[in-house]
Amino acid sequence: MAETTNETGQSFLPQQRRKKTTPRSVIIADKVADWTIRIGGIGVIVAVFGIMVFLAQTVVPLFMGGEVQGSHTLAREESHPALMDVIDEYKTVSVSVAEDGAISAFHIATGTSLTVPPLDFGGRKVMGFNHTLNGRDMAFGFDDGTLRLAKLNMGAVLLEGDLPAGLTKLENGDMTDGSAVYSQAAAGQIRKITVSAVLEAPQQIATQGTALVAVDYRLGGTVERPEKSFVTIDANGIGRLSRSEAKSNMMTGEVTETLTSSELPGLPQGVKVARVLMNTSADAVMVADSEGTIYRYATRNFDAPQLAETVKLLPSGVSLTTMGFLIGEQSIVLGGSDGSLDVYYRLPRREGDKETADGQILVRGKVLERHKKAVVNMDASQRGKLFVTADEGGEVWVRHSTSEQVLLRLKPKDYDGAYKAVALAPRENGVLAIATSGRVFEWDISVPHPETTLKTIFGKVWYEGYSEPTYTWQSSSGTDAFEPKLSLVPLIFGTLKATIYSLLFAVPIALSAAVYTSEFVHPKVRAVVKPVMEMMASLPSVVLGFIVALILAPIVETWIGAVILATFLVPMSWLLGAHLWQLLPNPIALRYGGLPRFGLMFAVLFIAVNLAVTLGPGFERIFFAGDFKQWVNGSIGDSHRFTTLLVLPIAVGLMYFGMERFLPPRFKTWARNPNRTVAGLAEMARWVLTLTVGWGVSAVVASVLIAVGLDPRGGFLDTYVQRNTLIVGFAMGFAVIPIIYTIAEDALNSVPEHLRGASLGCGATQWQTAVLVILPTAMSGVFAGIMVGMGRAVGETMIVVMAAGNTPVLDWNLFNGLRALSANIAVEMPEAVQGGTLYRMLFLAALTLFAITFVVNTLAEMIRQRFRKRAAQL
Amino acid sequence: MEIAAAVASGAVAQNARTYHRVTDLRARGEPFTWVLGGALCLGIVMIVGFLLLVLWNGFLTFVPRPVAVVTTTAGKVSAGEVARTDTFRPAPDALAKLAPDAQEKIKKAEGFAGRTLYRIGNFDLYSEDFRWIDDNEIKSTEYPKNIVYVERQEWGPFIGTVKAITLDGKPAEGTDFSAPAVASAYSEALARGKRVREIERDEIGNVNHEVERARLAVRKAELKSGRDSQAYKDAAAHFEQLSVDSRGEYERLTAEVQRLRSINDKFTVTFAEIGGREKTVPMVNIVRAYMPNDLSFAQKVGVYFSRWGEFLISEPREANTEGGVFPAIFGTLAMTLLMVIAVAPFGVMTALYLREYAKQGRLVAFVRISVNNLAGVPSIVYGVFGLGFFAYVIGGSIDQLFYPERLPNPTFGTGGLLWASLTLALLTVPVVIVATEEALAAVPRSMREGSLACGASKWQTIRNIVMPRALPGVMTGIILAMARGAGEVAPLMLVGVVKLAPELPIDGHFPYVHLERSFMHLGFHIFDVGFQSRNSEAGKPMVFVTTVLLITLVAVMNAAAIIIRNRLKRRFVGSQF
Repeated sequence: MAETTNETGQSFLPQQRRKKTTPRSVIIADKVADWTIRIGGIGVIVAVFGIMVFLAQTVVPLFMGGEVQGSHTLAREESHPALMDVIDEYKTVSVSVAEDGAISAFHIATGTSLTVPPLDFGGRKVMGFNHTLNGRDMAFGFDDGTLRLAKLNMGAVLLEGDLPAGLTKLENGDMTDGSAVYSQAAAGQIRKITVSAVLEAPQQIATQGTALVAVDYRLGGTVERPEKSFVTIDANGIGRLSRSEAKSNMMTGEVTETLTSSELPGLPQGVKVARVLMNTSADAVMVADSEGTIYRYATRNFDAPQLAETVKLLPSGVSLTTMGFLIGEQSIVLGGSDGSLDVYYRLPRREGDKETADGQILVRGKVLERHKKAVVNMDASQRGKLFVTADEGGEVWVRHSTSEQVLLRLKPKDYDGAYKAVALAPRENGVLAIATSGRVFEWDISVPHPETTLKTIFGKVWYEGYSEPTYTWQSSSGTDAFEPKLSLVPLIFGTLKATIYSLLFAVPIALSAAVYTSEFVHPKVRAVVKPVMEMMASLPSVVLGFIVALILAPIVETWIGAVILATFLVPMSWLLGAHLWQLLPNPIALRYGGLPRFGLMFAVLFIAVNLAVTLGPGFERIFFAGDFKQWVNGSIGDSHRFTTLLVLPIAVGLMYFGMERFLPPRFKTWARNPNRTVAGLAEMARWVLTLTVGWGVSAVVASVLIAVGLDPRGGFLDTYVQRNTLIVGFAMGFAVIPIIYTIAEDALNSVPEHLRGASLGCGATQWQTAVLVILPTAMSGVFAGIMVGMGRAVGETMIVVMAAGNTPVLDWNLFNGLRALSANIAVEMPEAVQGGTLYRMLFLAALTLFAITFVVNTLAEMIRQRFRKRAAQL
Repeated sequence: MEIAAAVASGAVAQNARTYHRVTDLRARGEPFTWVLGGALCLGIVMIVGFLLLVLWNGFLTFVPRPVAVVTTTAGKVSAGEVARTDTFRPAPDALAKLAPDAQEKIKKAEGFAGRTLYRIGNFDLYSEDFRWIDDNEIKSTEYPKNIVYVERQEWGPFIGTVKAITLDGKPAEGTDFSAPAVASAYSEALARGKRVREIERDEIGNVNHEVERARLAVRKAELKSGRDSQAYKDAAAHFEQLSVDSRGEYERLTAEVQRLRSINDKFTVTFAEIGGREKTVPMVNIVRAYMPNDLSFAQKVGVYFSRWGEFLISEPREANTEGGVFPAIFGTLAMTLLMVIAVAPFGVMTALYLREYAKQGRLVAFVRISVNNLAGVPSIVYGVFGLGFFAYVIGGSIDQLFYPERLPNPTFGTGGLLWASLTLALLTVPVVIVATEEALAAVPRSMREGSLACGASKWQTIRNIVMPRALPGVMTGIILAMARGAGEVAPLMLVGVVKLAPELPIDGHFPYVHLERSFMHLGFHIFDVGFQSRNSEAGKPMVFVTTVLLITLVAVMNAAAIIIRNRLKRRFVGSQF
């Protein structure tokens, strides 16, 4: 009871009840804190997991293929069969050119026709036709043997101010005056799109009356001095390569065109030419007959074209139905009447290939998914390797050459007969197909990332200009014609290479140091040594990268001989020191077994390093024929001596093991001699003997290895680059050693003291206790340390950016650089466009890193927890 | 038990015990022990050597070094500071050109020869800053007393002699730089130079800022209520008015700048390089000049500290390879501070939730492992996330909502101080969570129970009983997070660090603190100067000093963590049950 009463039951104090309830403010504070902490806490946890979700969500569109956002059919009165169709940059107007020269332009959304003056062919009939990739330059071959070139102009002008009067409204704010379309552009401006065409004068190419059945035309040169190259095949099967150059007279300003022609040799009599292709630099011409035989000409020498190669690319019974370049003119797409569609590359001839006149050869790079019916039409993108193909059955497929995938399969519901032309919008956001009936089918499409599939990212891909499928990372270049090469494999390989080599360096040092700190030094020394080693972990990695790449790399390059010598000499010196130490009488060895011995180890290290520097040049002369860099890339010397040196540690190790196992007990008793000096001498003798015999054995093994063809050069040792994996490994050592060291040392140190005591009490030496009792018990903790160190090495960025040279190569060469996932992100992210393919690819790289480290760390954590449980049970 | 204890107490005791018995020498594993110990030695040598290298180079960078005048056997004369020496292997054809005795010497040294890199300065005359001179080619080396070493605003240092001094267009008597007339003219020139900078940066900057604000207001009104609205017309009229007004102001200021510049052009010093070519430098462009071969100890100390002063408080020049790093120091500190403001409450909240509120079960154990793991996720991944999520998604939305008038130029929709801080906060939050959780776990359960039994609420218990005891651990966690954050560079490269930020994130324009601005950072400064500058050799000294600064910053934070932990531990040690 809170009330205070006296014996009589009457209160001395005025009646006053003390509150039993908690003050409101406390309750409110409690509630507020409760909710804040709950929401904040859960929020942070969600946010942290949100990272993974966000990364994944950004990556997913890479694998989504394409999407149709809308489609419609326009029934138009089209009396003239179209030769080709072009869409303008803004997907507003479609223009098609018909066989009789009529140009029908219409507003895509509504089908409203625009008036465009036709091309006047003067009654001649078009027999051969072709156009450039953007459809702006056209060539017509006529039945009378003349050729006319034409230019299609689709201008888009931004207008300031008010619209002209008398416009007819179309859709979405678009308007027309009958011949041009006005549409709303950004910032309140008006865009006016006009269409016009200019036809040049006829040029008599073939003899009068012989029709030109196939033509191709490229416009080169400069604006002031255009150079028009074209190739024509006439009905008699005579091919001609022509060039028309315009020269303007400086005085009169008069333009004169000169036409030069030369005949293409070697076309068989009566060949039925289906298609002819020429590239922009006019140094390669391909004539295809209807059976699929390609006559490839090298036309670098314009006056004397050379038939370089004749090859039949289609099986017999299949006729050629379509053929065209992709952007960059390195890929040739060939479609057959059986629905097949292949991509060919023109590559340098390799050993074993068919002999060709110009040392090049057409190679089938890709076999793409077949259509069910003959492929009749195609149109290629102007900004990538995307293209559309249409077949007789009405299917229109949007596909990509690099990724070999079909992104969209379009078929109109009301398909009614063959397509005359298909067109892909310049921004890859629309497809248009014109049927013979005059119907126009239009699809609004979205194919943001056509070049990526799981296969292109993780598998081998045959890129343009490459002699075989490769794993390549080369994300960007200046031109649209460049084929992005987005394989993560070289980057993942680079990360693994850096990780493995740095762990090879760091793990032995870190673990040895941890065992020594935990088991062999006085706790007072340990209290100093451990923080010093841990200090390494707090060094910013940018500092490590800078020192190692700019200061150390040039030194290592000059003194590479000494560095290699030191890796052998330093451990050897410690062994020598140990054997000399064993010679000391026991009392002295005991008295100075602590800090002085540790100090001596330092001294030996310094002496060995000094010795390595002094002997480095001599070592280089003996082992590497005097110049390491030339030796290592295989231009001088042999590798027998160095291979011997590499085999030596293994040989000696095996011999030691063998001696313990198989030597008669009589020999072992040497070491048990009560006189320590004698025992020590015996041990020393054994060591020297092992080394000598080991050297002999290694020499033999090395000869065998080299005879078998296992030269270390060309494998993990090859051409020396200044910023290489050795340097990276060393720098990464600074980052990784302290992590492994701390975790391993903690694990070793937390092994219960009674185990140590029991082992020593039973008469085991410190060494035996450490190796046979403590280490096995702490093994899982030590292993966890290595895993965590590995996680750090995988994700380290600045060191690899600065010290690794950043070349995405796939080799194990210790002396070559690498490009790691993390470095790649750091280098390329600043120039990646938000939402673009590269941007998402880099997110994929980040996700990969995230996944690798998350798995590695989770495993480490699980192992550690198991170890803790086991240690607690002991 | 006794025996076990004795055994465990150390190697000496154990060895003494087994002294009389015959032990197989191999069982002691002496050689293996030496290799283990050797590895520890190597580790220690690596870290100590590394630190010594950095500190040695960093602290000696600013020491004024003598300038040597070197004459080669070919008769070429160069004057310069020794940057470093090196051994190298001369190419065979270069070797053949040497004197026979020199060839012999090199042959003896297994093909190695020595060479020295001199910083010869005078980039405007020589088109190179540094020159290698082979030791074998040197005929004589002298240290003339009259050589001056001039640090300039442009073109890097000049090494040569003073030819003439012009004061106010008239030649001054003598070439003594410390003459009172010259010294006072010099300080006046500097004052004028400072005034020019003030006008250009602050006053003209203010004018431009006002006009830009008015322009944005016009655009904003247009977007909000259209071109026909009254608001738009008002804003447009204001903008017109301001443009006219400011033009007059602008012209007045530029005229003033012009006037000061023309005065300064009359105060010049003409130097001659060692080959005799002359170069006239306006006094205002001279940052520091001294006679390196004729310095007393006190003067050396003076130059040394004045260089440190310049380094710490001034702005970089010459593509960051000279001058100071003040913006980078400011950026690093501002970013770290913002990061702590973000990371501390959330980290502590999460730890409190995990430890005090959540039901301890499998789920929490899983969350705990995951949080632990997140500390091991590469920092660059956080950078990618920060760019994609903070800058592009959140920042992009902010721009759409609040700054539509500035589009398409992003305001928050690109990397900046705020996003960098938040990214690093995310990166370091696991560190704080783990440390706080451990600290909370270390508070005895009995204290909580006692408090609750006395009638305190849960929050009162946490605030008054648990948190004070856990504070040392929490502080340690936060400071370790700061140290980690200050040393990270990779994620910052994606979310807002730039090589040269024109403006600090804090200035005199409303709203005074500009969290959206990109900033400079010491770590990135190291990367940029060391790897991306025109001449990495010229930048090297700068990088070393910056490195020392960064390492000191990180080390001070780490040390602070340890000291605070110890202090607070001591304070609460008595109050433990």
